[in-house]
Amino acid sequence: MTLSAQASGPDTGAAQGMTIVARTQGQMIRRRFFRHRAALAGMILFGFVVVLSFSSIGFMGVPGWWDKSYLTTGALVNQGKPTLSVVPEFLGGSGIHLGEHPFGQDDIGVDYFAKTMRGTQQSIIVAFLVAIVATTVGTLVGAVSGYYRGKTEAVLMRFTDVMITIPVLVIAAVVGRRFGASGVVVLGVFIGLVIWPSMARLLRGEFLSLREKEFVEAARALGTSARRIIFRHILPNTVGVIIVSATLTVANAVLLESALSFLGLGVQAPDTSLGQLINEYRTAMVTRPWLFWWPGIFIIAIALSINFIGDGLRDAFDPRQTRVRA
Amino acid sequence: MIVFIARRLVISFFVLLAATFIIYVLTALSGDPLEDLRQDNSPQKAQKIADRSERMQLDLPIPVRYLDWLGRTVRGDLGVNRDGQDIATILGDALSATLQLVLAATVLAITVGVIIGIVSALRQYSGFDYTVTFAAFVCFSLPLFWVAVMLKQYMAIEFNNWLKNPVIPFPVIGLLALLGGLIFGALTTGDRKRRLMAFAVGFVISGALFTVLSSTRWFADPGLGLPLILAFGLASAVGFTALSAGLQYRGPLYAALAAAVIGAMCSELLNPLLIDPTWLEIGGLVLLTVAVCVGLGYGLGGLQRRQAIIATVLTGLFTGGMVFLDRMLQAFASYSASVRGRPISTIGARTPNYTGDFWQLNLDSAGHLLLPSMALILISLATYTRYSRASMLEVMNQDYVRTGRAKGLPERTVVVKHAFRNGLIPITTLMAFDFAGVIGGAVVTETVFGWRGMGFMFTKGLEEVDPAPVMAFFLVTGTAIVIFNMIADILYAYLDPRIRLS
Amino acid sequence: MTTPPNVPLDPQALDPQTIDPHAYEDAAHLLDSAEEVHVGRTLQDARPPSQEEILRVENLTVEFPTEDGVVHAVRGVSYGLREREVLGIVGESGSGKSVSSLAVMGLLPKNARVKGRILFRGDDMLKMSARKQRGLRGRKIAMIFQDPMTALNPVHSIGDQLAEAVLAHELMPRKTALARAKEMLDLVGIPQAEARLRSYPHEFSGGMRQRAMIAMAVINNPDVIIADEPTTALDVTVQAQILEKLLEVKDAVNAAIVLITHDLGVIAGMAHRVLVMYAGRPVELGDTDPVFEEPRMPYTAGLLGSIPSLEGGGSSRLRPIKGTPPSLINLPTGCPFSPRCPLATDVCREQEPPLAETDSGGHYAACHHWDKLAAVEDPTVFFRTESETVA
Repeated sequence: MTLSAQASGPDTGAAQGMTIVARTQGQMIRRRFFRHRAALAGMILFGFVVVLSFSSIGFMGVPGWWDKSYLTTGALVNQGKPTLSVVPEFLGGSGIHLGEHPFGQDDIGVDYFAKTMRGTQQSIIVAFLVAIVATTVGTLVGAVSGYYRGKTEAVLMRFTDVMITIPVLVIAAVVGRRFGASGVVVLGVFIGLVIWPSMARLLRGEFLSLREKEFVEAARALGTSARRIIFRHILPNTVGVIIVSATLTVANAVLLESALSFLGLGVQAPDTSLGQLINEYRTAMVTRPWLFWWPGIFIIAIALSINFIGDGLRDAFDPRQTRVRA
Repeated sequence: MIVFIARRLVISFFVLLAATFIIYVLTALSGDPLEDLRQDNSPQKAQKIADRSERMQLDLPIPVRYLDWLGRTVRGDLGVNRDGQDIATILGDALSATLQLVLAATVLAITVGVIIGIVSALRQYSGFDYTVTFAAFVCFSLPLFWVAVMLKQYMAIEFNNWLKNPVIPFPVIGLLALLGGLIFGALTTGDRKRRLMAFAVGFVISGALFTVLSSTRWFADPGLGLPLILAFGLASAVGFTALSAGLQYRGPLYAALAAAVIGAMCSELLNPLLIDPTWLEIGGLVLLTVAVCVGLGYGLGGLQRRQAIIATVLTGLFTGGMVFLDRMLQAFASYSASVRGRPISTIGARTPNYTGDFWQLNLDSAGHLLLPSMALILISLATYTRYSRASMLEVMNQDYVRTGRAKGLPERTVVVKHAFRNGLIPITTLMAFDFAGVIGGAVVTETVFGWRGMGFMFTKGLEEVDPAPVMAFFLVTGTAIVIFNMIADILYAYLDPRIRLS
Repeated sequence: MTTPPNVPLDPQALDPQTIDPHAYEDAAHLLDSAEEVHVGRTLQDARPPSQEEILRVENLTVEFPTEDGVVHAVRGVSYGLREREVLGIVGESGSGKSVSSLAVMGLLPKNARVKGRILFRGDDMLKMSARKQRGLRGRKIAMIFQDPMTALNPVHSIGDQLAEAVLAHELMPRKTALARAKEMLDLVGIPQAEARLRSYPHEFSGGMRQRAMIAMAVINNPDVIIADEPTTALDVTVQAQILEKLLEVKDAVNAAIVLITHDLGVIAGMAHRVLVMYAGRPVELGDTDPVFEEPRMPYTAGLLGSIPSLEGGGSSRLRPIKGTPPSLINLPTGCPFSPRCPLATDVCREQEPPLAETDSGGHYAACHHWDKLAAVEDPTVFFRTESETVA
């Protein structure tokens, strides 16, 4: 009884101390993040894209405010050209309005705005699933191999070595070939399951250095279980690295998914994604360039905004790179 | 050293072996290889299915098929694809094109990326730095295939159209001049007045340059000519000397200037040789250049012999490169005519059945390589720029850099000798990672530009659920990645004496 | 070409046995810990300091603009350094002692705003051309840094880094420079100097690296050596050796030393004069013995009182100064030490005292109440806790 009380006493004390520290640290991180103008712009842009894509055409049966579907065809308006106009009349344009088909129509008259929005939804879903799965698996593998060393590490790291020898696009393409037609959820999960090794390697490095720190030594001396040390003591200290890396994985996953779909090895028609749209209308570059432009712009918007958010987070978590060194 | 390489090779071999197993199994499981035949309505349907099943040994379990593939590969037989074509033959054609593309992109990305990164770090918080940082983020976010298609449309088709009458319209010249001014201004640090001066200088220089190029229709029949070669050579001599030895002592400068003059004269003197050389002869000339330059540096360098030799060799090679470039440019007009005025190609790795002299053949492959490499480079370039900038910033804050300054070393020595070398160390680790990414990118790029390279072999094999070509692709790229990893490791150990190869 | 130093070293001057243990008895009374670290410095120099000032710092201020405001790192520091003199600068971290010496070397980051004058033999270094300033750095004024683990470049050999220091100022064959580097390694007591030239820093121990740094500092026969906490990063057992070596080498090349440290024991054993800094300002300046025996600034007294003493036995407690140094961004009005000072009165909180001469000549202090310190025998008494006084 007394022994356990002694053992848990300092531990809870440390935990309380940590929450206090975490709060002030959290405030500092938030302050640094919001001071990062590009990251803020990225947040706004990304939020806009997400809200636009999910609210416009609806999601999972919930209808959106846009009245056209990405599946039904309609009569060609204005030869399918975009009706969106942003140049006001006094500048010689036709005024600011959306028109019937703001992004134009494809060759069989489907509203391209609806299609692009659908593709954006799908790409975002895939990217987030990939990042969540890859981060979880990578963190676990990295944590275990970094903490235990010895045989566990050797086996896990050799396996990671093997996986790293294979270019991400290659292994993801093989997976995409198998699961591309099964919908974005399955595709996202399985791509996540094959691209975790770089995350594992990163986390392993963090764990290797943190496990030698005094606070881990202290916890071990108190007889704290390995699982508790990993999850309660070391992991909280790697949150910054994990969050930053996960964010950047989202951006990379958007690009990866679109590249796979472009190769015909990702999302399959009739379902759509931004990469699949570009692949479908690749030859339309000369005759109907808008079919090519819109999905490209959305890919760039998503990837760029997330990359900026990631950069802001990195700056926020890693104060070494502050502007001025005092 | 040899022990280290041998050990790495053994480990890499097993890593590669395990990777082949994973890829084989996943590929075999990725779909139904008979899919297209099942929808076949021809009378020989059953026969076709039986043929292919036998060829692909579909009756055997996958691990057994893998072992069979492995056994044959070890004996040097890569097998046939599902249609019965010999893989080794297909590979032979695909290999050189892809390796050319990948190597060109990697080498260019490293050189340009590291230079931009370092300049950006040394000019931290300047306009240039901000622009580079923003551009790098944009590059990170660009889908490769999208860029490739754009390049194809605007850089190839439109550029070729423009070449018919290569006159730059006046507003465009104005824009280019503005751009030049901005670059000059952004690279300058100091107060507003100095930056404005730099902007003006850059504006005038680039404005004048493009006006002259446009009015002389230079782009239709380009070339440098002896005066320009000499001018560039002499400028490089001053630059390289300033970097390696500093300009306060004359010896190294004279050696480098001599190298530039000799190099430029050789462009005329060696004319008979340079009209239609072979790669072997070019290689010989490179060796000769190095030998002559080492001699010059040794003879004229005085007490700064080491630095003089470095500066002189770099100057010699740069001047040689200018001569080479000049010859290539001179061949441009005739090459352009021979491909009906469309020198920048969008399809394939070379013009089919093209014949011409050394320069024209080189222009042909350069014209085909240009756009795919540009597309492929973007992402790596951004990566190298960001990493070398961060690495350089970190190193410049190290204590030993301060020690260097405390010794009274000139800033040039502090940067080149103390910071640069340390800053390169983390870049070597990046090289290994990035190379795998470039190979992945090559798959996409080849698809856009219609190269029948390794990437095409891979995607086609994968679509057809045919492990043989996929495995051939992976064997080659996997080996390349392993070798590249090892080069990176050796470079690392060379740069950092704390790591000893053992 | 520079000739190797051939000033004969007086072995007696360096032998701890020959030191008169009673010469500095009073200072030693306050400074037992110093004796542990350092077995008593010979202030019997081979050649005593002259009266000629080679380095004069006048009204030096250094500011750093940051996101949170302007950091006033150094606020009006003035001192002179005489030939062959050892001037100790003490203070807590953040007191501006390192920043002011980096300013002398011209090694501050670009965003630093430096004002005042730094005169080397009468020439203002802040007004010199960059090239001329570089010519002084490493040749006339050399620096030894705190952490020898990071101050040497890991990728170049020791010999290369030493030779480079010579070649930076003089064109000569590399061989000659390397020979000179070897001499220097011999001088600082690195065995097998010839072979060690080819070693890399990671093959050296901490003490050896610091010896190499000392060799690098004196290789051009400088007039001034700035040693910024040269032993802080080292093992206690090595510290004394390194300090001894530093003094030995100083005598060999006839240089003056600015010794920056927070270790009062080191100063007491080595320095002729001492400058105490607090919150970016000098608060006390004078010959070492008067300053340590009769401090005229409560901060100095507090520092002396916070040194553990072996003599007092178990009865005496450590007496740390309460509170923390002020933020250099929002300095309090008045004397920056007033919030922690047991003697502080209203005038202290309103008016910052100037550095002014006190009761003895050449002894300056920045305190409104230095006379109160002069009135008692042991000035550390003000920092005793009440319980202690009761007991």
